[in-house]
Amino acid sequence: MMSNTIFMHPAAYFIIGAMLLPFAKRLKLQKALLLIVPLLAFYQIHHLPASFGICHFMGFELTFGRVDKLTYVFLHVFTLMALIGSIYGLHVKESGQHMAAFLYVAGSLGTTLAGDYLTLFIFWELMAFASVFLVWYRKKKRSIEAGYRYLLVHTTGGLILLAGIFLRYHNLHDLTFTRIAVDGATTADYLIMIGFMLNAAVPPIHAWLPDAYPEATVTGAVYMCAFTTKTAVYVLARGFPGFTALAILGAIMTVYGVAYAVIENDARRILAYHIVSQVGYMVCGVGIGTAMAINGACAHAYAHILYKALLFMGVGSVLEMTGKSKLSDLGGLYKYMPWSLVFTVIGGIAISGFPLTSGFISKSMIIAAAGVDHRIFIMLMLSLAAVGTFLSVGIKLPYFIWFGKDSGVKAKESYWNMQLGMFIAAFMCFFLGFYPEYLYRMLPYPVNWHPYTSYHLSETFQLLGFTGLGFYLMVNYLKPAAKSNLDLDWFYRKGALVFMWLASKPIGKANDWIGEVYRTIGYRFTLAVAKAMSWFDWEGIDWVLDGSAKGVVRGGDELRKLQTGKIQHYIGGAAVALCIILIIVVLI
Amino acid sequence: MIAQLFGYLREHSVALKWIFFAYLAFTLVFDFFAERHHAHFWGDSVIGFWTLFGIFGCLGMIVVFKGLSHVWLVKGEDYYDE
Repeated sequence: MMSNTIFMHPAAYFIIGAMLLPFAKRLKLQKALLLIVPLLAFYQIHHLPASFGICHFMGFELTFGRVDKLTYVFLHVFTLMALIGSIYGLHVKESGQHMAAFLYVAGSLGTTLAGDYLTLFIFWELMAFASVFLVWYRKKKRSIEAGYRYLLVHTTGGLILLAGIFLRYHNLHDLTFTRIAVDGATTADYLIMIGFMLNAAVPPIHAWLPDAYPEATVTGAVYMCAFTTKTAVYVLARGFPGFTALAILGAIMTVYGVAYAVIENDARRILAYHIVSQVGYMVCGVGIGTAMAINGACAHAYAHILYKALLFMGVGSVLEMTGKSKLSDLGGLYKYMPWSLVFTVIGGIAISGFPLTSGFISKSMIIAAAGVDHRIFIMLMLSLAAVGTFLSVGIKLPYFIWFGKDSGVKAKESYWNMQLGMFIAAFMCFFLGFYPEYLYRMLPYPVNWHPYTSYHLSETFQLLGFTGLGFYLMVNYLKPAAKSNLDLDWFYRKGALVFMWLASKPIGKANDWIGEVYRTIGYRFTLAVAKAMSWFDWEGIDWVLDGSAKGVVRGGDELRKLQTGKIQHYIGGAAVALCIILIIVVLI
Repeated sequence: MIAQLFGYLREHSVALKWIFFAYLAFTLVFDFFAERHHAHFWGDSVIGFWTLFGIFGCLGMIVVFKGLSHVWLVKGEDYYDE
């Protein structure tokens, strides 16, 4: 590939931007760079050819750029969101956080543009490894722990995906990333689908999301809520449209996420669970697989990124200014942070699908597509989740933060840049509601759907109105308490404790005992065998594998010297390493 | 200024309540006049169906989910730290 096509790839802007950030900070240009990079990328995505960046590497054909309408709509909202996130985070001085965010966005854009599974996998992992820093940068014990769990779960998902990719290559000798036919899907394809589903937070492999997102930094959570799950929706829409399993799981997700959003206490945990619910609509749309449903999934992804980010920005403002995010600690903030309230409520009514907001014109498409496809039960589940959405995020969340009991918490209104970020997102929520054609024109299939019919309006008026009545009647029963609820992460969080106990007690005991036996009986014998084995390992296998093991050990020793224990150095190192890999891969 | 507006509205919550009830009545009346061209299932042809769906869906979800939380799922915030 020619080097000039590197600069065609929007992910390259973010990777280069990430590396320039520390220098820009020295020159007091960090804020300018934070705005220029997303703006350039947003400009660039409008000028991409249908295919670019094709290169051959070790016998594989890698496609870094494949652009069609499905790609475009996601690129459009990802770069727009990167701009909003940058503005919202302008006050953050640490370059490291911005670098992590930029690399994360780059991973997401790279995945979206990837035309083959190998390229996709590289960027897929970049997303996971960059985003975990957005959790760790909160620098609290809980965040560090949650970050490790997040990383472990995503590594597992990545390995499942990689297994699927290898198996697929073994079967077909083809790694192009295209649509997989429902009746021709093999084990390899299902492994790939599970890898994708993990990132889409499809239960039972969803618990990483509400575990990690509430522990992320204020600005980090705003990025995280936008990219990982929606990139997963994109790859599912690209590879697996029409898989009924997705339609059913998606419908379950919508209600599952809402259930926890109703009972949880931490505002960002409520919103995190609600991502599961919202992504459920998109996964369901992909599973239904008709042109209308795919359009709906894309439209909903676009609208959702903006209003969910708006909600995370709203409660993030409260967290930034008060240090609190639990509903039970908050209340009565309308006197101090009224603009954050206004913006959060706009996010809340948009996500609930009020007429003239973006949720109304996107969610309705998926629900109607389920109806047109005669999947009535799924349609009713999606409608029920819409009721729960308004209940939990539309009313409960803003009510208990800004009204409810007066908690005595006093705060200033958030910084101007945070409010500007919220304003842009809020503007887009209304803009899309008033002018849906702007979004509909971007969708992959021609749109034959008019949201503003009298029946659909009537349905929405009733659903939202009487949900409000339900809240009014039950408000005392919904009062938040300083509690948390179990979810399926129990299995690995408590399971790890069992493992640790096993390792320390019975296995440790057994080990000691066996060690004793060895020492008395088999010591000499073992030593001889081990020596022989190790010689074989070192000389024999290494001879076969061309000395690579010795090389790895030497490399490992070199690497160890580089470790300083500072998070900034790690992330800087990761950025440099990534860039070198990219340059090597792209230029060869 | 806007904070004072919210304060003013809070002081007049009784009026707001009646406006809200009037809105609920309006939604039911509106449903009589909505055009039902594309009924997906039987519920679409019943006037007030989504009213019942909204209120019972909402109350049902609160009771079921809060109940599940209460009897099974709820734990202290430090549950995993213990």
